[in-house]
Amino acid sequence: MERLLVGLEIHQQLASSTKLFCACPTVKTEEFPGKFERRLRPAQSETGHVDPAAVFEFAKGRSNLYFWSPESSCLVEADEEPPHPLSREALRDSLLIAATLGSRLMGEVHVMRKIVIDGSNTTGFQRTAVVGLGGSFDVDGVRVGVQTVTLEEDAARILGEDDASRHWGLDRLGVPLVEIALEPVDGEPDLVGRVALHLGRALRSTGKAARGLGTIRQDMNVSLGGGNVVEVKGVQKLNLLPKVVEYERRRQSMLRRVAEELRGKGVRKVACTHADVTGVLRGSASPVVSRLLSGGAKAVCIAATGLGGLLGWEPEPRVRLGKELAEVARANGVGGVIHSDEFEKQGIQRVEEASLRGALGCGREDALVIVAGRADAVDRVVLLLVARLAACVDGVPAETRAPTDGGETRYMRPRAGSQRMYPETDIPDITVTEAEEAEILRETPEDWRSRVARLERERSLSGDLALKLYDTDEIERFEELAGRLKIEPSFIASVLVDLPARLSREGVAESGYAPTALARALEAVASGAVAKEAVPDVLKAAWEKGMTVEQAAGALGLERVDEARLAVILDGLVSRRAALIREKGDAAFSPLMGDAMKELRGKVDGALVARLLREKIASFLRAPD
Amino acid sequence: MGDLSGYKGAALRLLEKAGAAVGDVLEVRTPWGAVAGTLVPRYLYGDGEHVVLKLKSGYNVGLSLEDISEVSVSAKGEKPSFSAPPSPEPPEGLPRVLVIGTGGTIASRIDYRTGAVRPAVTSEELRSLVPELSQVARVDPEIMFDIMSENVTPAHWTKLAGRVAKAVGEGADGVVITHGTDTLGYTAAALSFALAGVPIPVILVGAQRSPDRPSSDAPLNLIAAVSVAGTANFSGVYVAMHLGESDDRIALHRGTRVRKNHTSRRDAFESVDVPLAAVWGRGGLEHVADGLPPRGREFEPSLRFDGRAALLKFYPSMPGALVRAARRSGAKIIIMEGTGLGHVSKEVAKELRSFIRSGGVACMTSQCIRGRTDLSVYDTGRDLIHMGVLPLGDMLPETALAKAMWVLGTGARGEKARKLMAEELAGETTARTFPG
Repeated sequence: MERLLVGLEIHQQLASSTKLFCACPTVKTEEFPGKFERRLRPAQSETGHVDPAAVFEFAKGRSNLYFWSPESSCLVEADEEPPHPLSREALRDSLLIAATLGSRLMGEVHVMRKIVIDGSNTTGFQRTAVVGLGGSFDVDGVRVGVQTVTLEEDAARILGEDDASRHWGLDRLGVPLVEIALEPVDGEPDLVGRVALHLGRALRSTGKAARGLGTIRQDMNVSLGGGNVVEVKGVQKLNLLPKVVEYERRRQSMLRRVAEELRGKGVRKVACTHADVTGVLRGSASPVVSRLLSGGAKAVCIAATGLGGLLGWEPEPRVRLGKELAEVARANGVGGVIHSDEFEKQGIQRVEEASLRGALGCGREDALVIVAGRADAVDRVVLLLVARLAACVDGVPAETRAPTDGGETRYMRPRAGSQRMYPETDIPDITVTEAEEAEILRETPEDWRSRVARLERERSLSGDLALKLYDTDEIERFEELAGRLKIEPSFIASVLVDLPARLSREGVAESGYAPTALARALEAVASGAVAKEAVPDVLKAAWEKGMTVEQAAGALGLERVDEARLAVILDGLVSRRAALIREKGDAAFSPLMGDAMKELRGKVDGALVARLLREKIASFLRAPD
Repeated sequence: MGDLSGYKGAALRLLEKAGAAVGDVLEVRTPWGAVAGTLVPRYLYGDGEHVVLKLKSGYNVGLSLEDISEVSVSAKGEKPSFSAPPSPEPPEGLPRVLVIGTGGTIASRIDYRTGAVRPAVTSEELRSLVPELSQVARVDPEIMFDIMSENVTPAHWTKLAGRVAKAVGEGADGVVITHGTDTLGYTAAALSFALAGVPIPVILVGAQRSPDRPSSDAPLNLIAAVSVAGTANFSGVYVAMHLGESDDRIALHRGTRVRKNHTSRRDAFESVDVPLAAVWGRGGLEHVADGLPPRGREFEPSLRFDGRAALLKFYPSMPGALVRAARRSGAKIIIMEGTGLGHVSKEVAKELRSFIRSGGVACMTSQCIRGRTDLSVYDTGRDLIHMGVLPLGDMLPETALAKAMWVLGTGARGEKARKLMAEELAGETTARTFPG
């Protein structure tokens, strides 16, 4: 099988107090009182070259509406004021992350402008700087190389879009972000997921990573058999990574096989002709076509040499060339694309196909693609599809794609070229002194794996529980509680990492399992006021009734039964069930234990009940009648 | 030897030894491996301890000399050759607009290799950068100066005014002047006097965001300026800049009544105490004020400027010596920016009196910017009037300075100059100001 290579790029927001180039706080805004409208235009390079991704966005002719609030943005985000000096706090945090990954820290940091004109940056570029080069880490015996660690500003947040404009919130624009670009690894789907997971944990070990939804995003560069690199942007959920890798393998493999088929047929160049077929298709029997042509829409048919039968071909599950074409059209605002391999399915009659082929002068070995929709959009899409069809002989085109919720990918735009970066002249180069570097190297945190292993060892926790403590950022709280409370550490750990999810499922609000509430419940267990088993019920009742943990335990009748009182209760039980014990001997334990727990559940540790009960039964049997 | 611009000290010696030049692809050996990249220029205030490479990814990195064990040139750089993407030839019958460049680029390309930004100089380049211009007018670009706007002097104004007057003779339908925004208001005022009665629109235009950025306001400002210069049915000198922070409408301000009132916003320019002359939207002119002069007026320009005027801002404790210094520097007219209705301290007033007695013309404007001077309300003001200080009403201080330099350029001095300063010549004052 051909080699699949996957290069991960992880974008992690930093937990800095301000944005990267202004004093705005990094908070999410719900309501935006102000807005303004902008259009971005691609800048031309010295050679007259304009970046293909930039042209693509500009050609769509859409404007951008930016929504702002004084709580989260100022004139800098509005591109109405030059950037302020780069945040030293964010720079230090990013250098610490670079050092943690074993990267070489840059002695001088140069802020660049990376052209991005989808509107996500008001300037039309993203400010970004390399802070570290090289480095590597090990994931289950596989060495993963780090290419660069960069510090950059996050983009504006998309709020919505319509035909005329995209809507963006400026609250996220300028939040400091660290991008870690990894060297490609073998695209074994599972490995890619593990690499991302490891990196996320390594980032958290620095304490500088922001937490919460949307604070970490993964991009992936995927290539098959040395072909063009496809960039998949913005995979937010880790569990999607392996699915996306697998989908891209199938998709790229399909594209390569289409190219092979064409070569096999002796097609060296896919030649395309196209014609306006609105008249031919008007009054078509196909409901799909008549719907597409309603309201003055236009239909153009493209004939592509040698592609007959290949548009609907599915050499691997759920990937077809026809789908690729539809995606390109949709990204450009045209939903109506029908190709000849699906004519029958879409209700296009043989005679209609014959007149289309007649109009274009092509035979059955050629493919037909009908594009229908608003006239100006159709003309643009036809040109794009002609170019896309011509590229079929070359296999996989270099594209930027977006993941779907189901772990597939869809076309977004052509891939940005390398000619899109130039210096940010508003920000002078920044020197990182040797003293600063030495201090950062001193602060480099312990490897997360050794931290988890230490936790397992020192506190006798299971590996799973220790990792959960790490992943939920509860280690510090755990160590503090385990240090001062005389309770089994594993119980403390499970309360901290498992209980919140359970209580949340039972409808308890966050205040009901806030760290302070959990700590108070654990203190009550340590003081003997509440039994371990009762902790969930007591916390829930405390939240429901607005009581303290102790009051809730009392209200539920769950005050802890101490050992002396337990002995009295068990003595009573043993004498009531004396006949059974005499009859069954030690085997009477199970039914008696059941009886005991009916009365004692939630009030005393079950293990203690079992131990005492066994003792009581044994001494009863030993005793002379 | 190749270009090593910006490098100095040990870094320069190292690069010279390796025979490297900006644009070359270098391989640099470091303790952590080889780093390959294109050598980019170093900025003016950079130290001599770093070499800056542009990596293949496009990023620039500054490598410390301490980390560099060896530098070798793996490929000599090739100067990129420009080939403008095809742009449509403008259709016949469009108006002809002369676009004069004075510096401060309004359209430019980026050399992504080195980060250099180069202005467009030919009409072909300009059309390819702002293709919309081809739909509006036949544009002839001409670079007259390449200076930062703070270095513009009355001598530049004289040349500019002369070039516009010549363009009128050549039959241009309009003139656009691209100009750095810092002193755009001064130049607009100056040209308003020198070109009083000009029969075509003369539109000054600038940009608050440089044109190498996708978000630059330059293209839209330029499209509006060229469109108005070519097609408006009014004449005169105006400034065209963004009306608000959105890329939708462009304000046209009267040349004598406009001021840069913000350091960085797109809509930094404002008409002070008068309505906008016109508003341009993407569909063309949306609004035109009443009473703008029509095209095709009689035109007898006086094009010369004489810079021997001074603008002094009064402040509490201002020493009278500053007025004397202005006088000693050769000033024939002093424009004071007084407080409130137009006041200065006794000490400064005394110096103004002696300046006037020696034949100078002293004029009063207000640092309030909005509103008009009135020297009759307080005794201080009456004293100034009595000694011969000329209150300029609602004339902007910067406009008053440009006017003074033009007045001196006509050869007028003393009483004659004072009379010209008092007379309304190019809409620089109005008798009535309205609420709102």
